[in-house]
Amino acid sequence: MTRYIIRRLLWGVVLLVLVLALLFVIFRILPTADPAKLRAGRIQNPKIIAEIRHDLGLDKSLPAQFWIYIKGIFLHFNLGYSYYSNAPVKELIFNRLPATLSLVLGGAVIWLFTGLSIGIISARRAGSKLDRASMGTALVLVSAPEFWLGLLVLFFFASDIGKVHIFPGAGSYVGLTTAPDKWFTSLIMPWVVVAAGTAAIYARLLRGSLIETMGEDYIRTARAKGLSERRVVLRHGLRSAINPIVTVLGIDIAVLLGSSVLVETVFDIPGIGRLNYVAITHSDFPIVQGTVLFAAMFVILANIIVDIAYAYLDPRVRYS
Amino acid sequence: MRALRTILLTVLAAAAMTALAACGSSSSSSSSSSGTASSGSSGLPAGVKNPVDESLTGGKHGGVLNDVQSEDFEHLDPGQAYFQLDYQITNSTQRALYSYKPNTFSQTTPDLAEGEPKLSDGNKLITINIRKGVHFSPPVNREVTAADVEYAIDRVANPNVANPYYLGYLEAVEGMKSSKGGQIPGVKATGKYTLQIKLTEPSAPIVVASMVLPYSAPVPKEYAAKFDAKKPSEYANYQVASGPYMLKNNSAGKILGIGYQPGKSATLVRNPNWKASTDFRPAYLNQINIAIGGDANVIGRQVLEGSDMVQSDAPAAPIVKLAVQQHPSQLTISAGGGAGTRYIAINNSYGPFKNVNLRKALWAATDREELDRLRGGKTVADVMTHFLWNGIAGFEESGGFTGPKVDYNEHPQGDMAVAEKYMKLAGYPSGKYTGSETLQVVGDSSAPANNVAEAVNSTLEKLGFKTKLNLVEHTVMYSKYCGVVSEKIDVCPNVGWIADFGDPQAVLDVPFNGNLIVQNGTNSNWGLVNHPKINAAMEAASKVVGVKARGEAWAKIDEELVNEAVAVPYQWAKEPYIESKDVEGINDYWNSGTFDYSFTSLK
Amino acid sequence: MSTPSSAAEPLLRVEDLRVEFPTEDGVVHAVDGVSYEVQRGRTLGIVGESGSGKTVSSLTTLGLTRTQGARISGRILFDGKDLVALSESELRTIRGNEIAMIFQDPLSSLHPFFKVGAQLIEAVRVHQDVSKGAARKRAIELLGLVGIPDPNRRVDEYPHEFSGGMRQRAMIAMALSNEPQLLIADEPTTALDVTVQAQILALLERLQQELGMAIVMITHDLGVVAEMADDIAVMYAGRIVENASAETLFAGPEHPYTWGLLKSIPTLTGSRAQPLVPISGSPPSLINPPPGCHFHPRCPYSQPDHARIDPQLRPLPDAPSHQVACLLEPSVRKRLWDELGEGKTPEQARADVGLPAPAEALASAADPVGDAPEVGL
Repeated sequence: MTRYIIRRLLWGVVLLVLVLALLFVIFRILPTADPAKLRAGRIQNPKIIAEIRHDLGLDKSLPAQFWIYIKGIFLHFNLGYSYYSNAPVKELIFNRLPATLSLVLGGAVIWLFTGLSIGIISARRAGSKLDRASMGTALVLVSAPEFWLGLLVLFFFASDIGKVHIFPGAGSYVGLTTAPDKWFTSLIMPWVVVAAGTAAIYARLLRGSLIETMGEDYIRTARAKGLSERRVVLRHGLRSAINPIVTVLGIDIAVLLGSSVLVETVFDIPGIGRLNYVAITHSDFPIVQGTVLFAAMFVILANIIVDIAYAYLDPRVRYS
Repeated sequence: MRALRTILLTVLAAAAMTALAACGSSSSSSSSSSGTASSGSSGLPAGVKNPVDESLTGGKHGGVLNDVQSEDFEHLDPGQAYFQLDYQITNSTQRALYSYKPNTFSQTTPDLAEGEPKLSDGNKLITINIRKGVHFSPPVNREVTAADVEYAIDRVANPNVANPYYLGYLEAVEGMKSSKGGQIPGVKATGKYTLQIKLTEPSAPIVVASMVLPYSAPVPKEYAAKFDAKKPSEYANYQVASGPYMLKNNSAGKILGIGYQPGKSATLVRNPNWKASTDFRPAYLNQINIAIGGDANVIGRQVLEGSDMVQSDAPAAPIVKLAVQQHPSQLTISAGGGAGTRYIAINNSYGPFKNVNLRKALWAATDREELDRLRGGKTVADVMTHFLWNGIAGFEESGGFTGPKVDYNEHPQGDMAVAEKYMKLAGYPSGKYTGSETLQVVGDSSAPANNVAEAVNSTLEKLGFKTKLNLVEHTVMYSKYCGVVSEKIDVCPNVGWIADFGDPQAVLDVPFNGNLIVQNGTNSNWGLVNHPKINAAMEAASKVVGVKARGEAWAKIDEELVNEAVAVPYQWAKEPYIESKDVEGINDYWNSGTFDYSFTSLK
Repeated sequence: MSTPSSAAEPLLRVEDLRVEFPTEDGVVHAVDGVSYEVQRGRTLGIVGESGSGKTVSSLTTLGLTRTQGARISGRILFDGKDLVALSESELRTIRGNEIAMIFQDPLSSLHPFFKVGAQLIEAVRVHQDVSKGAARKRAIELLGLVGIPDPNRRVDEYPHEFSGGMRQRAMIAMALSNEPQLLIADEPTTALDVTVQAQILALLERLQQELGMAIVMITHDLGVVAEMADDIAVMYAGRIVENASAETLFAGPEHPYTWGLLKSIPTLTGSRAQPLVPISGSPPSLINPPPGCHFHPRCPYSQPDHARIDPQLRPLPDAPSHQVACLLEPSVRKRLWDELGEGKTPEQARADVGLPAPAEALASAADPVGDAPEVGL
């Protein structure tokens, strides 16, 4: 198992380098703006552009730039500097990470809890009105754009601009270590919005998975033992039905860590997603590279963790 | 493998976002593009404030202002700043030699300079005395001297600073053009408080006019040199202030992560070494907290319904509407001044539009009111009738709002009969263009600009032109197509210009002076306008001294530009800003109407 | 047990049990009026093809068809209590405790994600208030009892680490956790190798002797119950078509379906030389069962009126403990079975006895005069 993990991690590193190479190429092939020209402003003077290119290291060949970048990462864990603020990308990312982690992990707790609860209830009462109502709601939530949902809850429940003043509104986020209570209240609405769509997906997923599992022979065995229905469903049924959820959970969290830009924007939460988005709009490559590197790393790690969790959850799975 | 697939998707998503993002990024009009402004006398909705009428005195001292803005700053180094949001910071923290009071864009006020500059040697020598008793903020603390301004000007040519405009305005400073960093021979502190600038050409007027830009604010060499030695310079993140406010820093002077968290927040606190007696700024506020990011629809409502808040970038269209209807006293619309223009650039150097009559025909045929309506209507636009604008010297002389009395300009809704007349004059007796070539039209893909581009394209078709319309993202339009000689683009319907400072030369020179065209590179002369007579007139006018005289000289150039129909102007932009009801917001007319922290107060 | 009608009160008495499942296509009559008895310490074999209702009837005994929305009527008297009328929670105290069940496929019937020991411990602790440690000791003891070597180690293994036979042993161990009075074994050997099958059957026999429990053995394979069962009930299309002591049934089976079952097993005494003859056709729809005798479409001896008349399960006149539901005359059946016993094919036997072939019979059925007489059994 350890060897397997090490091999996966090494392969992950190779994958990251490939991702970075791909990014390097994409950002120079796509018709995005030239950062030197952006910075040179309206009175474009070749000498100034050349100076800026030199400043930013853009005058070197593409492979040379890539080599310097990769070397920086592996030797010093240096992800470069923003073309604009000159801030170290590593610092920016670590500065933004807590907000995104708070948002995504808290959201994950909510979507897991509600998604699984609704999924179980729906599966146990498949075909009932309750089931149809919750699956219908799920369909709406899945298709509701997060951005729109975010605006909606803000205009209804935000303490500053809402119809009823309940929860702290946009821009109220503070760090967990600064003020835990404010951290919590400021994240309630973002969590709900982040969780809504995913909870709906999970509810549907678990419903299907649980209905299938409940038809298994070992569920019949569990019932024949004289176990209560509650124990049959929650211990024997859920234990198996949860497996597909674990797979998507890992990937969902990982992907969201890099792409929660819409919720971060609506609620004005300074996270990774927004950092990445703004960097893209400004052709601030070092930040784009850094954030995508992190996002890719999350995905790779999530995959490894999911696989390990799989081996833990399903004793029949063994890696070598 | 699952991981690989997911990662590829992530990367592709990032790439796709680039494209999307680019579409939506038109508002970062920092460098290339437009601006907005409108003319003071153009009608504003009832109860809405106009920056030129605001009272600059009598504010209440104290309090903390909360500023929200969707966009981040770009470069806070006074030697690099070139963006209205950046100016909002530099204007309150850095004292340039000359500055504008909030309600003007043509009259400068001596700021760090003690008085007007002395020009001698046939406009080739500038002598400026600087004010005594101005001190740098901590950790430098000492008094500002002329040597600090000398270093500030020296460093614009330092490749590590790479000031974006110095070759445009300071090219004539002795030694500037060939500088590779280090001391510029033409800039000398000849005394503790006296600065002399020697020029190789008699262009002192434009050099002096440019001194409102933040590059002329003092920088202490003994402190800054080590940061400027970095590639690129790190002075932005350690800068010291000379104005009433400073970006919050630590004892080592570090700002990054303390007074400025990129993409997140910035904090301005009082500069403890600033003395009110040395400055014209009242500096009522104790502190300004700037929150960066958020959705314009949300932060707009927060400002309108909250307290102690302003939004320093443009509010979303629904918010402007809401403000006009329900909170007019919290809305300021800045018309003209530092706001900009939009016009249709037409290629004067290549293709059918070398023919002046075809250019006039397009001007006549264009329904400029419709284009303005597409951009948001009268609240944000006045129909543009010539190339100078309100608040700039020469505007009235060149026609004011109604503009020159030429038939192709007299019908803002467009007039096909007049257009036909010019088509015939151009040699197309049917009144329609009959050439076989296809016009290359390149526009901005994001709304509302794309709608304008479509409308212009259909006007071209009505005139008989075959066209190929290509809509690309805003920055791509500027960096790869419009203004690139080799691309041979015929029409760019979405270009615009804001002036770097309130001088008519800053309005007309770069976009229309053929002598500035570079063959390989991007030009801001998007129509490649190159008429020797006009070029020569600009050369002469640049040397004229005095606001009124310069206005008259450039007004004549404006008339020539209209006579040649070098482009089809359609929008003098107006810029709306919102504040909370308990904020007495003062807006900088010269800076598109953004808030001036040094004059704004809480009620 | 040759005298099922003994005076002793049976451990389990099923009376006119009916189980129906409403579905979108119609009501499935899975069990259609079934009655049988199981005496303490004895073994009843329920034999039939899949879909004959044998599994549903035993699942219903445990109340396990309730969750599938079954409509249940009749009575299931276990130790004097009517299981059909018991509440779910009352039933739960009986399930896995007084009545235990093992299933066909031990791999799919054990939870793949829990250790064998954990599943045993759970079974113990549902019904006994003992500590985890005590339950674990019991689990190890049970594994030893069912003949799993090295139970101390095996208790911490997962089902997939067990062989097929071991898994079934583990299932049996689990079923025995609470020393049930009745063990229902649903095709316990079908998924296993032939040699392992014999071992499992031997194990069940041994355990029955040691623990004195009654067993209901459900199978499609008469061979499986041949040596074990005291009584045998043959089910077809939701009904019992023949019911007798094992001895009687093998000596003189009365129902053509039973004959078919006997013919389709390779291990019947003295018939090893005969080719294996499966019953032709497939089990009938339980939503719209064939009219008359449900077996008539597949019966090589069916006569025209068999499609109209529904035979009842009746005791043989000369052997009251032997019940059969067949419209053929007892004498005709006797002759047919003798013919078959000589190795004739059903067609030959039919011809020899002088019955018209089903096709001819059908033709004569069109003749209004050919009205068959009511068959009295």
